[in-house]
Amino acid sequence: MTTLMPPFRLHRPASLAEAMATLSSTPGGRPLAGGTDLLVNLRRGMGAPPALVDLTSINGLDRIDVGADGLVLGATVDLARLGDDPRVRAGWPALAQAAAAVAGPTHREAATLGGNLCQDTRCVFVNQSEWWRAANSYCLKVRGDTCHVVKKSERCYAVYAGDVAPALLVLGASVETAGRDGTRRLPLADLFREEGRTHLALEPGEVVTAIRVPPPDGASTGYRKVRVRDSIDFPLAGIAMSLRRSGDGLASLRVALTGIASASVLVPDLDTMLGRPWAEIAGPLAEAVRKACNAVKTTVATPKYRRRVSAAAAVALGAELWAGQEESAA
Amino acid sequence: MSTLTRPPRIGRPTPLVDGVEKVTGRAKYTADLPAPGALVGRILRSPVPHGILRRIDTTAAERLPGVVAVVTGADCAVPFGVLPIARNEYPLARDKVRYRGEPVAAVAAVDEETAAQALALIAVEIEPLPAYFESAKARAPGATLLHENKPGNVEREVHNEFGDVAAGLAAADLVRKRKFTFAEVNHAHLELNATLAEYDPERGWLTLHSTTQVPYYVHLTVAQCLGMDTACVRVVKPFLGGGFGARTEALGFEIIAALLARKAGGTVRLQLSREETFLTHRGRPQADITLEIGMTRDGRITACAAECTQRGGAYAGYGIITILYAGALLHGLYHLPTVKYDGWRVYTNLPPCGAMRGHGTVDMRAAFEALLDEMATELGLDPFAVRRANLLTAPTTTLMGQKVMSYGLGDCLDRVETASGWRERRDRMPPGRGLGLACSHFVSGTSTPKHWTGEPHAVLNLKLDFDGGITILTGASDIGQGSSTIVTQVVGEVLGCDWSRLRVVSTDSALTPKDNGSYSSRVTFMVGNAAIQAAESLKAILVAAAARRLEARPEEIECLGESFRVAHSQDLGLSFSDVVKEALIDTGTITVKGTFTCPKEYQGDKAIRGSAIGASMGFSYAAQVVECSVDPVTARVTVHKVWVAADVGRALNPLAVEGQIHGAVWMGMGQALSEETRWDEGRGLATNLVDYRVPTMAESPDIEVHIVESLDPNGPFGAKEASEGPLAGCIGALMNAVHHAAGVRAHAVPLTPERVADLIEAKERTAS
Amino acid sequence: MMLAPQDEDQGGAAPRAKAILMITLNGRARQDLVDETMLLVDYLREVCGLTGTKQGCDGGECGACTVLVDDRPRLACSTLAHQVAGRRVETIEGLARNGRMSRLQQAFHEKLGAQCGFCTPGMIMAAEALLRRNPDPTPERIRAALSGNLCRCTGYVKIVESVRAAAGPAVEAEAAR
Repeated sequence: MTTLMPPFRLHRPASLAEAMATLSSTPGGRPLAGGTDLLVNLRRGMGAPPALVDLTSINGLDRIDVGADGLVLGATVDLARLGDDPRVRAGWPALAQAAAAVAGPTHREAATLGGNLCQDTRCVFVNQSEWWRAANSYCLKVRGDTCHVVKKSERCYAVYAGDVAPALLVLGASVETAGRDGTRRLPLADLFREEGRTHLALEPGEVVTAIRVPPPDGASTGYRKVRVRDSIDFPLAGIAMSLRRSGDGLASLRVALTGIASASVLVPDLDTMLGRPWAEIAGPLAEAVRKACNAVKTTVATPKYRRRVSAAAAVALGAELWAGQEESAA
Repeated sequence: MSTLTRPPRIGRPTPLVDGVEKVTGRAKYTADLPAPGALVGRILRSPVPHGILRRIDTTAAERLPGVVAVVTGADCAVPFGVLPIARNEYPLARDKVRYRGEPVAAVAAVDEETAAQALALIAVEIEPLPAYFESAKARAPGATLLHENKPGNVEREVHNEFGDVAAGLAAADLVRKRKFTFAEVNHAHLELNATLAEYDPERGWLTLHSTTQVPYYVHLTVAQCLGMDTACVRVVKPFLGGGFGARTEALGFEIIAALLARKAGGTVRLQLSREETFLTHRGRPQADITLEIGMTRDGRITACAAECTQRGGAYAGYGIITILYAGALLHGLYHLPTVKYDGWRVYTNLPPCGAMRGHGTVDMRAAFEALLDEMATELGLDPFAVRRANLLTAPTTTLMGQKVMSYGLGDCLDRVETASGWRERRDRMPPGRGLGLACSHFVSGTSTPKHWTGEPHAVLNLKLDFDGGITILTGASDIGQGSSTIVTQVVGEVLGCDWSRLRVVSTDSALTPKDNGSYSSRVTFMVGNAAIQAAESLKAILVAAAARRLEARPEEIECLGESFRVAHSQDLGLSFSDVVKEALIDTGTITVKGTFTCPKEYQGDKAIRGSAIGASMGFSYAAQVVECSVDPVTARVTVHKVWVAADVGRALNPLAVEGQIHGAVWMGMGQALSEETRWDEGRGLATNLVDYRVPTMAESPDIEVHIVESLDPNGPFGAKEASEGPLAGCIGALMNAVHHAAGVRAHAVPLTPERVADLIEAKERTAS
Repeated sequence: MMLAPQDEDQGGAAPRAKAILMITLNGRARQDLVDETMLLVDYLREVCGLTGTKQGCDGGECGACTVLVDDRPRLACSTLAHQVAGRRVETIEGLARNGRMSRLQQAFHEKLGAQCGFCTPGMIMAAEALLRRNPDPTPERIRAALSGNLCRCTGYVKIVESVRAAAGPAVEAEAAR
C-alpha cells in the first residue's frame, strides 16, 4: 500500500544557486533535508507544498570547518556526525551533547543541523492525522481559527522542541541564510520568534545555509535533556548552559531552554548573578528558568512538571559545570 | 514398545522452526502478501464520541471514478462480539456512534488517493449525545445510556464473598485499605492491523488473510455478519507481528474488509494506520481498585476485600470476562482464608477495551502486591517472609474452586532472593536506589471455551505419506510465541524421528483442524497435549508395521531414533522409511488425530457463579525482584535489573520460555513506567508510538531469568504457561522498589516522572 | 531529472510527476520510473517487491523500516525514494549470501533475537550498520545504537545477546577481507 503524500514536485538541485532559483520561482515550496520532521508532517496532512527542494543533494553544504574563528557548520551536516565529531565534542560539548540527544540514532543519521534548527513547532492538537484535526475543527496552526490549548488566544502556543538550538544559543552562534534578496547573517536568537505558527523569522524561500559558532571562551558548556525514554522522545524540557567562573565567583552565565515555549529562548536577566558564589546562584537561577518557561498544555506531560524540571535540571547542570570549572582550573 | 536414548527434542533450547523466514525477511505478514490489482480499502470514522446517526449519504463517493464499493451500517445488521451473550457492536455503526473513531462507512477504490477522496465525499450527519470518558461519570444518575439494555451504563456487576471477610478482618492484627488507579494500556503490537479479503462471486467464496490470534473466531464472526455459510469462508493467518491479546477477538476491520470485498466482487486490501490500530484498541482498561487486607503480626493474610471498576469503553468485547478475572485470580497465588470481590464493568465513550496479556488480573495483582509490601513494612516484616507465610501446598482447591496441581512459588522466591542478593544488599542501597519484590500467576488455558460446542479443547492432525515426511497440521496460531516450534518439538519427542521430517502447516481453515486460538496461554498446555496424543497414535501405527515386518509382537519392538528392531535381537532392524513403506500398505496416506479435553473437574465449581473464569488445569507462578533508582532531579524511575524466577511446570523450549518471560516482565515494566493511552474528550492524544511510550532498548534493563520446573501432572511433559504470569509481578515489584528508593508509595500507575515528582514533593511538604 | 506530469487521469487520483530513479539495491543496479512523492519504504515494498522492510507506524516512530544507505541506517518511512538516487541501498533481503544467512541473521535465529519477527528486519539492519562501524560493540553501545528500533516481544534482552554473538574478532576478520 502506498502512503498518501501531497502531490508535490521534488527538486534535487546540485548547487545552492539552483536551489534558491527553484525556491524563489515556486511560491510555497519548502526546503527538504533529512525528512525526519517535514516528511512525517506531510504524511499527516500538515501542509501541501507544491514543491520540495532537497538540500542534501547540494555538494559542500555539509562541511564541518574548525578554525581560528571557531566552528562553521553547513546546514546539511547530519546530527550523527555532529555529535560524534571529536573536535566538536572537545570544543563545544553542549553542541555535541545536544546533537546526540535528538530523537533516536537512526533519525540522527538523516536529520540535519539546519533541519533540526528549523523544525516545526509541535502540539497535541496539531501533530495528529487529518481526520483527527478535522474532527476537532482544526486550530490556529492548521486551517482553523481557534486555539484548543489556550482558549480565545490570538497566538499559537505550539511548542518548539529542537534540541540543538539552545546549545547554539548559549554558544553565541549566528546563522547564515540565503534568500531571494541574497545572503544575510544574523544572531541565532533572531532566527526565532515565540509564536507557534511563525516561530522562524525567515522570508518565503529563505533557507539557513550555515551556522557559525565562536571559538571556546573558557566557559564550560553542557546540554541536559529531560525525557521519559532515553531515545526517540522529544524533550519535555531541554536546558543548555555556558558557565564560566573566576575563583569563587561567577564570571559568565548563559542559559537557554527548549521544549517549554514556541521558540528556544535565552533565559534573561542572569547578569545580576555575576561575581556571586554558586550557593547564591542556584536559587535565583531556578527562579529565572521557571519564569522563562512558557509551557502550556501542548504536550501530554503537564506544564507544571515541565517548568519544575527545567528549573531543577538547570540547577543540576549548573552545579556540574561549576564543579567542572574548578577541576579544569586546577 | 520401548524407546531407547536419542536426542531429546524437549527441554533443549530450540530456535524457532519459522525463525529463518523471520531473520531473512522472507516471512510474509498480511500486508506483505502479493495481491496484484487489489482494491484499496479505507474506513471513515466518527468525528464525535457519542451521537445518533441521522444520515449517511454516499452518493457522491459512489459516483467518483475509481470507487468500486462503498459500505455503511446498512450493509450489515448482524452485531458481533466475542462472547455469545454480549454481542452489541456492528462493524459499521448503525443508529448510534459510541466512540470517536468508530467506523461509519468504508470504501474500496483503485488506489489510496481515490479512496481518500471518496471518504471526503461521504456526508455524515450525527446528532451529538452527552459523552462519558470516566467510569464515575458514565455511572452517575441520569447519565445517557450507551446501550439501552444496560442501566447505569454498567455492563456487568460481580459480587462474591468466600468465607466471612468481616470476621477475617476482625481477626487481623493489621488492616489496611488503599485506593489505586491504573491507566489504560495498549498492546502496541508492532504489526499494524490488516486484512486481505478476496471474494469470488462465481463460487460465493470468501478468503481472508488477517492479523489475528483467533482465525476460528474470525471465521465464525465474518460468516455470521455476512450471512454466509461457514463452508464458503476460508480464513488464513499468515505470519503475525505480535498480539498480546489485541487480536483475540474478531475485530471490526476484518468484517469491513469482507463486506467491501463481497460488494466489490474482488480483492480488497485494508491496512490500518498506527492511529487506527490504536483506535481499534481492546487493551487493558483503566481500573480503579480499592483493596483491603487483614494480616496477622506474623504476616498471615486473614482476609481480602477488593473492589474494581473497569472503564470498558463503548462495546462489550471481552468485558464480562475481564471483570470476572480481576476477582477470580485474587485466588490461587496465596492462601486466602476469606475473600470478597465486587466488580463493575462500565460502558464509556472510548474505544472498547479487551484482553491484554495477563487478562484482567494484572492491575489487581499489582495493587495486592503493593499493599502487601506496605503492610510488611508496617509490621517490620521482610517482604519475602510475608509471601512465604501465605504459600499454598499443592494439590489444593481454592475457595473459588480452582485446582492448583503444581506450585513452585516457594522455589521461585528462594531463587530470586539469592540471585538478587536481597539479604546482603537491601539495607545497604545508596540513596535513591531500591529493591522491590512481587509475585504473580496466571492460568494455562481457560478450561471452558467461550463458544460451547462439545468439541475437544484442542485437535491436532499428523499426516504421513510415501515420502516419509510428517506434516503437523495445527490450527494453533503462532503469534511469535513459538507455538509451531512447541508442537514440532512435542511430536519429535514422541516419535524420535529426524527433525527434518517434521513440517508444520498452521492456521488455514481449509487445511488445518480448528483451534480456538492463542489466548489465555492455552496453546502449549492444550495443543501440546493433543500433539502428544497424535504422535503416540502415529507411533503405534509405525510400531505395529515394524512388528508385522519383523514378525514380532508390537511390545517387542524397540526404537532407537529412526531404527526399529526386535528388542535384544542382533539384527540391524528396519529404517524409518522401511517402516513407513510397510505402514502404508493397504492404507496409503496415514492421517492421525490427537485431541485434548479439560476434564469437568477442572472447569470450575458449578455452584459458584462465574467460577468458569479463572478455572484452569495448571497455574504458572513467578516471583521477581526489581532494582530501580529515582532521579533526584527529574524524578524519573530507571530500572537497572530484574531477577525473575518462573515456575513453568517444565520448560519444553527453555530458549522460548526465557524469551516469553523477558517479554512479559518488560511489558509489565512499560505499563509501570511510561505506557498510557490518553484520551481528551475521546480524542486520542497518544495514538502514535512517540506519545504512547513503549520503552526503548536504551532504558530497558537486563532481565535475569531463573526457570523453576514443578512438573505439572496434567501439562504436556509437565509444562505450564510461561508468557503471562510474570507480567503483573513487575508492576508490583517496581512500585515497591520505588518506595524503597524514594520513600513514596505510588497508588497511581504508570510511575511517570511527573507522578513521582508530585509524590516526592508531597512527601517533602509533609516532612517540612 | 523530472518528467512532465502525466495528462491522462486514471481513476480519481491526481496525476503525479514521475522520474527515473537509479540506485544499487542489494548489490544490483536498477532503474525504475518512480513517483517523485513516493517514500523509500513504499518503493522497496511496492515497486521492488521487497516486503522484508516493514512499516509499523505512521512515520518515524518505530524503526521497523530501517534500511542501509551507503552503509548507514536510514528510516525508509521518512525518506523519499528519489533522495537515495545514485546510492547503495541494502535491505534485509540483501544480507544472505547464496541463501546462507549472514552471521547476524544466524545469531538472531539461534539466540531468539526474533519472536514475532516484525521488528526484526529493521533491527538487524540497524545492528548491521553498527557492526560495520564498530565490529565489537559493548552491550551498552548496542543498546544505544538500536534504541530507535522498538520491539514489543523480547524485552530486548535476547536482541542484545544476538548482536553480541555476531560481534567480535570473526566479524572484524570478515570486515577486513
